[in-house]
Amino acid sequence: MTKYIIRRTLGLLPLFVGAVVISFLLMRAAPGGPQAALAGIKSITQEDREKWLRRWCLQAEVTPINMLKEFGGWLGVLNCDSDTVPEIFFSAQGGLNVLPAALGGGDNGILHGDLGLSIRAGRPVVDVILERVPATLLLTTTALALWVGIAILIGTYAAVHRYSLFDQGMTFLAYVFYSLPTFWLGLMLIFFFAVFLRTSGVTDFFPSGGIITTRDWPPFNTPQYWAAFGERPMAAIVDIGRHLVLPVFTLVAVNIAADSRFVRAAMLEALNQDYIRTARAKGLPARTVIAKHAFRNAMLPVVTNVALELPFLVSGAIVTETIFTWPGLGRLFIESVGARDYFVLMGLLLVSTVFILIANLLADIVYAIVDPRIRYD
Amino acid sequence: MTVPTTVTAPARASAGNDVLLEVRDLRTYFHVLDGTVKAVDGVSFSVRRGQTIGLVGESGCGKSVTALTIMRLLDIPPAEIASGEIIFEGRDLLTLSEDEMRHVRGNDIAMIFQEPMTSLNPVYTVGDQIAEAVMLHQRLSKKEAWNKAIESLRAVGINNPERRVKQYPHELSGGMRQRVMIAMALSCDPKLLIADEPTTALDVTIQAQILELIKDVQDRTGTALMLITHDLGVVAETVHDVLVMYAGRIVETGTVEDVLLAPKHPYTEGLLRSIPSRGMKGQRLNVIKGTVPNPFNMPKGCNFAPRCPYAFAPCAEYDPRIEEANPPDVACWLYTPAPGSPIPPRIRPRRPVEVGA
Repeated sequence: MTKYIIRRTLGLLPLFVGAVVISFLLMRAAPGGPQAALAGIKSITQEDREKWLRRWCLQAEVTPINMLKEFGGWLGVLNCDSDTVPEIFFSAQGGLNVLPAALGGGDNGILHGDLGLSIRAGRPVVDVILERVPATLLLTTTALALWVGIAILIGTYAAVHRYSLFDQGMTFLAYVFYSLPTFWLGLMLIFFFAVFLRTSGVTDFFPSGGIITTRDWPPFNTPQYWAAFGERPMAAIVDIGRHLVLPVFTLVAVNIAADSRFVRAAMLEALNQDYIRTARAKGLPARTVIAKHAFRNAMLPVVTNVALELPFLVSGAIVTETIFTWPGLGRLFIESVGARDYFVLMGLLLVSTVFILIANLLADIVYAIVDPRIRYD
Repeated sequence: MTVPTTVTAPARASAGNDVLLEVRDLRTYFHVLDGTVKAVDGVSFSVRRGQTIGLVGESGCGKSVTALTIMRLLDIPPAEIASGEIIFEGRDLLTLSEDEMRHVRGNDIAMIFQEPMTSLNPVYTVGDQIAEAVMLHQRLSKKEAWNKAIESLRAVGINNPERRVKQYPHELSGGMRQRVMIAMALSCDPKLLIADEPTTALDVTIQAQILELIKDVQDRTGTALMLITHDLGVVAETVHDVLVMYAGRIVETGTVEDVLLAPKHPYTEGLLRSIPSRGMKGQRLNVIKGTVPNPFNMPKGCNFAPRCPYAFAPCAEYDPRIEEANPPDVACWLYTPAPGSPIPPRIRPRRPVEVGA
């Protein structure tokens, strides 16, 4: 088993390298990068502009050699303050740029662990991303746990009571919610719960966006906020919970629709197997046949499916976060697109890639644990 | 448990007319989109303690549905048990509650299926799956049930059962899995074992071993056996009495010698003739001409008449029923005078059929 995991992990490395190169090429191939944004600003002198471009190794023209320079700058191998070989490989401190700063190397880039420097924030990308992680994880783990749990309940019950009123009702609802675009559903929820219910005086429980009530609390995820959180934890949790309801519902509705169909299909397939007939012929009660013999088999494809849904935890809520002004990674992505902050964008792509790879690895491992037929030698 | 769980060999010796299972006018219909299929359409037979009967017929004739109806394993709907009684040890199984029926299944009546490759649950060890039935019916502890599982694996000729019991089905061969199925079926000492094509999915050499094993455990435990098959060779080797089914009806019954050596019903004769034999190398195989009648549109008279080489006037008009037949062992107007028919029955002497001739 350990060997199997190690082999699988090593197999991911080339995939990771490939994903890094491709995400760079894709970003760079799109016209209108940071250079174009800068060129539009008339108040900056040519000198400043060049200095600024050098800072991020950005090149004016797209040529193969310039692409290599930009990629090298992003990785943290090259120091574009100098243009000539071999100086370009050395940092201002005189060491090879690829070495850690403590050993006289450069101070930003993938290989230095900070994922480069954010153009917009002027801070390491890794810091920009990390400060958005708590909000996103709070939203996505809540949503994922809810929708997987509910989808398994609905799907299993619908399969066992196939063609019942419940099954047909759930089928209908699944198609309705699966067809609803997230942005439309989100806006309608805001319109009804946050606007209509408030203006008609029914309740002002549902906020229209954000993660906290900004008038009552310091900005989220700042030291002041956590200090306030420590003083009044119950109030803080209720406040966040209020803000969670609508975005979580938006995410959960669509995904329950999809996953409950998946669970139902897996369960139906399991229920039609010969071993179910064998289990019934033994005289087992229907509940045992379903809960023990059918359910465990039906969960095999479901476990894989859920493991492959895990990347959603960091990248899945772009639209929902934007609609509900949720201060998470999804909204950071949209903001960075607007600001042409390519280094944050590439950093986010990189983080998603890593998550997708880890989720795949996890799917393989979990599958090998739950299905005795998988060989891992 | 008031019912004794073991039937010993002496019980079988004194069997005589001790009827274990009696099926009376059983009708199982399936309601599907296109109409109603009468899969079992008036079947009656009985099984004595320790007796072996063979239920023979081609695919789709209602053999398996008969067995699944006795076990009450059909989903209702689409299935419907339209009429009949299944008297097992004096109780009509069709009137039992689902809970009462569960105590019959696996405990009094056990069943082996055709597909050993898919009949075991892939995610549990064979020991778990055998012990599960034992714990359920015999109220044994987990440890005792596990030991019983090892014992029953040993009883079906599996080497090193202590190791096998911990294995998953995919680690076993087809023949081995069928042995496990048999071990599971026999683990609670059933009074009746229904084997639905137990050897069809196996290699010929393994088939012989499995049949030998079934006969052997039957001798040891005295359980009655209902063997469902389309393989007349298997019937000849294994059973005492034969029921031949065609299109949901029993068309001929008798001892294995009578039915196989001197068949009365033209269908039985056709079945025997279509067995390939070594002497007919290079010749075309004999077949029963035509196909099984459309289940949604059964012929008015005898179901077999459209394919029957001996069919004559009453066959298209009147439906022969084995319950009304005289002699009572064959449903055919060649033996029983057709009611109101001016044409006298064409009595044919019993004559041996040369297999494949």
